[in-house]
Amino acid sequence: MSEVATGYNFAYLDEQSKRMIRRALLKAVAIPGFQVPFGGREMPLPHGWGTGGMQVTASVIGQQDTLKVIDQGADDTTNAVSIRRFFARTAGVATTEETAAADLIQTRHRIPETPLRNGQILIYQVPTPEPLRFIEPRDSETIKMHALREYGAMQVKLYEDVARFGHIATSYDYPVMVNRRYMMSPSPIPKFDNPKMDRMPALQLFGAGFEKRIYAVPPYTQVTSLDFDDHPFEVQSWEESCAICAAQDSFLDEVITDDAGSRMFVCSDTDYCRQRVAQQEANP
Amino acid sequence: MYVAVKGGEQAIDNAHALMRKQRRGDTKLAELTVAQIQAQLPLAVDRVMNEGSVYDPELAALALKQASGDAVEAIFLLRAYRTTLPRFGYSEALDTEAMQIERRISGTFKELPGGQILGATYDYTHRLLDFALLAEGEAAQAAREPASSEPLEPCPRVLELLNQEGLIERSRNEGEQDQTPRDLTREPVTYPAERTVRLQNLVRGDEGFLLALSYASMRGYGDSHPFAGELRTGRVSVALVPEELGFAVEIGDMLLTECEMVNQFHGSATEPPQFTRGYGVALGRSERKAMSVALVERALRADELGEMVAYPTQDQEFVLSHTDCVSANGFVSHLKLPHYVDFQSELEMIRRLRREQQTSTQQTDAEQNDV
Amino acid sequence: MSVSSELLVAGFNDAVHDGQQVFRALLTAMSEPGKLQQPNLIAEGPGALNANSWQVALALLDADTPVWLSERLAADAAISSNLRFHCQSPQVDSPQHAAFALCDASDVPDITLLNMGSAEQPDRSTTLIVQVPAISNEPHWTLTGPGIATERQLRIGGLSSTFVEQLIASRQRFPMGIDCIFCSADTLVAVPRSTQIDINMGGR
Repeated sequence: MSEVATGYNFAYLDEQSKRMIRRALLKAVAIPGFQVPFGGREMPLPHGWGTGGMQVTASVIGQQDTLKVIDQGADDTTNAVSIRRFFARTAGVATTEETAAADLIQTRHRIPETPLRNGQILIYQVPTPEPLRFIEPRDSETIKMHALREYGAMQVKLYEDVARFGHIATSYDYPVMVNRRYMMSPSPIPKFDNPKMDRMPALQLFGAGFEKRIYAVPPYTQVTSLDFDDHPFEVQSWEESCAICAAQDSFLDEVITDDAGSRMFVCSDTDYCRQRVAQQEANP
Repeated sequence: MYVAVKGGEQAIDNAHALMRKQRRGDTKLAELTVAQIQAQLPLAVDRVMNEGSVYDPELAALALKQASGDAVEAIFLLRAYRTTLPRFGYSEALDTEAMQIERRISGTFKELPGGQILGATYDYTHRLLDFALLAEGEAAQAAREPASSEPLEPCPRVLELLNQEGLIERSRNEGEQDQTPRDLTREPVTYPAERTVRLQNLVRGDEGFLLALSYASMRGYGDSHPFAGELRTGRVSVALVPEELGFAVEIGDMLLTECEMVNQFHGSATEPPQFTRGYGVALGRSERKAMSVALVERALRADELGEMVAYPTQDQEFVLSHTDCVSANGFVSHLKLPHYVDFQSELEMIRRLRREQQTSTQQTDAEQNDV
Repeated sequence: MSVSSELLVAGFNDAVHDGQQVFRALLTAMSEPGKLQQPNLIAEGPGALNANSWQVALALLDADTPVWLSERLAADAAISSNLRFHCQSPQVDSPQHAAFALCDASDVPDITLLNMGSAEQPDRSTTLIVQVPAISNEPHWTLTGPGIATERQLRIGGLSSTFVEQLIASRQRFPMGIDCIFCSADTLVAVPRSTQIDINMGGR
């Protein structure tokens, strides 16, 4: 691991920027699911690569914290490595790959399979915070739709799928309602992960860097995925199980193994997979 | 056992080392110094300063060197550095009428009080490759160049001449005080955005995007009909009022390019027909940028002037949300990051839809066969 | 409106890390209403302000946050001098324009005079920091809502019934509303606008 960088502020951001983000975070947890605009700063990573999540992490993290960073569920994907290194260098904090050992988990596109506990904070990187964006691209309009709780257009969009395909065809970034008030984007996690958000004991924070929005779901808050009485929400399932740990209950990545297109399936959550293997080796 | 093909620390380190090597290129050639870039590629440096939002030619030159000459990457480096700088205060409004002018032209009047001065420009060069430069003959050639022309005395802006006749809108009403502009680097833009915020956004905006938008507005996607009222480049002094002193202190000067466009306006229920203004300013010698800002700025005033907002060039949210090259580059390039999980979700969905469609087709076929 | 140097007290020993710890306590408090927090990173507050309220001010306030002080606190030159010196916060006369309002339980403002934000921008509301004599989880208020698994008990000393009635009535206006941070000498707790408050029968 690289040494701690000198000449930069603790966790990169200056104190005034952190205070601004912290105030936005307090508003975000007080109004669950509402997108709080904040004065997003430039980070030394590109927009869309996790600058929102990083600004939240930088504002929340302390010397005593242990940080885990995942991308696509894995600790060793290049972007996860790069962000973990960034905080190891600029904040000198301890890092871990073990979900249960982490105080803060910054994630892109997944919620860990290991259930999170109260006291942990899950920080999502969000590219497009506005769940209504592809229905109405103007913020000046969507802000009114949220104010009036006018979400019919999303129901119509989902129902068009039902009419056409027989069920809802949104498979990731599947919109949710938070505490029955605000429609919220869960970030591009697979809908497989949506049920984990509901009444999660951990605090969930969301940061969108170039869209300059922060939002939050406090612990134990109701989060429901949109659906219809005759077409209830359902998650993906696989006929296969993980080729490494044989898990049948985790989200599986498909891996193409040869030119003939042979495939195998492995856990997207590398820590979960490793722990299962360790357990199996301990209790054969 | 299967080992997932995922990246790692070593791969990143190797990539950085390769990048450094590629940037340095052939080591038999002398290494380019930051001072050389600053002195000999000043227009590239100016672009990086503008979109990087930092007036510091040396750091902009360093960024260009570090970015292998990629303007967008250099702009990003400068922006990220900017974030870490403490904010000491805000300068007083610049007085561009007091500019030490090195170039000033107008497309609207032949003769002007204060005169026109062509200064240094590529405008009338014939775009023929100068093979003398290839033969490294510039030193000899430069020696023959005339000494630099005398700078103009500070002079009023051209559009103020029209103002005396009341033919052009006032940039502010009688007795109106300057508003303290918001700072879009400290608070997010909300729509509709005030003119000061729009201008800040455009000055930081991607030059290519703004050039294309202004081109579109002149080709009919926008009701613009512009004239270049005045374009001036020169040094302007910058003053700051320190909290503890309470009076303005000059802290330096900066090279700026300012452009005022004159546009037709047919009048409205409350306003007589008159000319309207589009304003643009840019750091350094950045005429294309200043003109583009002025053109797009005017197009974005459609709403406040009661013109129909019919084209993207007139649509604040469309333009202002997409000007930033750092954001645009980041979001486009983020597609290079893994999206295994989302893609897997889509794969599962497509397979399922196809399976269902196949089943229902087979069922229909079976039913038809039964008949 | 000047700073009297003889009234100045110390800020954080370590602005970066102490500020972070107080914020984390506030984040837990605000995301888990009724959960008591005791960061206690500072020894004394200026004038009549207790150390706990003072560390909250140091952690959250700066030049970007207009602050309103209740009459009693505004009259205390030590408080305004220290807020100016350590936080550089502009002090405003109307709570409508304040990002934060600072008051004592004996001196709470009319909640309806604070800024509750708008339906479109509920985040533009004033956050109320109230210095109180005592905070405990003895049964008095039953809190329910986001951040609370089932329900949580909370007793805050020194609040007037008018204030509590106004606070409860403001729930009707959600998502507009006021988030409160209560600070006793050593304990802080938050009650955001999303929290439902039921006053237990028989309790005062």
